[in-house]
Amino acid sequence: MPPKAAPPARRKGPSFNPPRPVKPADSASTTKGAPKATATRPAPAKPSASRSGFQPTTTIVSSDEEQEDDFDDLPSDIDALMEDALDDEPRPQQPAALDLSTPPVPAPLLVRLLHHNFQDEGTQIQKGAMNLFESYMSIFVREAIARAKDERERAARNGRGPGSRFLQVEDLEKLAPELLLDF
Amino acid sequence: MASSDDAADRKDRLQSALWYTIGQFVDNEGAEDFNATPQFIGALTELVYTKIENSAKDLELFSKHAGRKVINADDVMLLTRRNEALEETLKRELDRMRAAEGRVEEQSKKRGRPSGAGARAGAKGKGKAKA
Repeated sequence: MPPKAAPPARRKGPSFNPPRPVKPADSASTTKGAPKATATRPAPAKPSASRSGFQPTTTIVSSDEEQEDDFDDLPSDIDALMEDALDDEPRPQQPAALDLSTPPVPAPLLVRLLHHNFQDEGTQIQKGAMNLFESYMSIFVREAIARAKDERERAARNGRGPGSRFLQVEDLEKLAPELLLDF
Repeated sequence: MASSDDAADRKDRLQSALWYTIGQFVDNEGAEDFNATPQFIGALTELVYTKIENSAKDLELFSKHAGRKVINADDVMLLTRRNEALEETLKRELDRMRAAEGRVEEQSKKRGRPSGAGARAGAKGKGKAKA
């Protein structure tokens, strides 16, 4: 599907061009493939990673309006690049960003836990940093569970361990040292 | 002392809350293909609590070291300094958040040497993002 989809997109891009450099890519991708509809916002960030040599942070960072002026002369190129990047990007990797649908530790609790453990009462934390830390802890918990599952399967294969589908403390004990070294 | 009693009490309550939420999470997560003993949940809670405790201290120290009183995303990225794959993942997550937000408060791309450069940049240009 990707190879077929690319050529029409390139042709479509310029026609949408005049209004905005970024919008055409979005609308084109949504009309072309339904599965991409959910990824319209993350999309701009993705291509910039793949063509980092071109325009590292600013594409992600700035609002659309500001960018417009700087790149009015080569928007068609940008569209083509973004279209290609979108199609080439391995889709299966995306869910990594989506796995935060239900955080293991809800944000309010995490904030309390953090503040409880600060030595200095005056320490504060930015919203963005908080969100990022939430992701960090989410990854940590998920990784712990995934490794425990792995450990359990291995134990079951070796023919020991009761109730093979129940994660045991000993599974956690085995993975904890490495997990803590990894985080 | 009453205050230390209070603190201990608060810690207990926070741990209970964490226990509950972790338990919920494990139950939802593994509803179909695995299960966990209550002991496992308890141990995992302990692990996560300790992790948060250590991270809180780390984050606080990182921001202090940079001459700040407010923890920002750079400090969180420093937590991942020993794991490149994790750093990569979190950076992507950060980019995604910022893209969604539509703006950046501060540039977190340069991490390499947080001690010298970061401290000075943090102390001087805290308020303003890169011009």
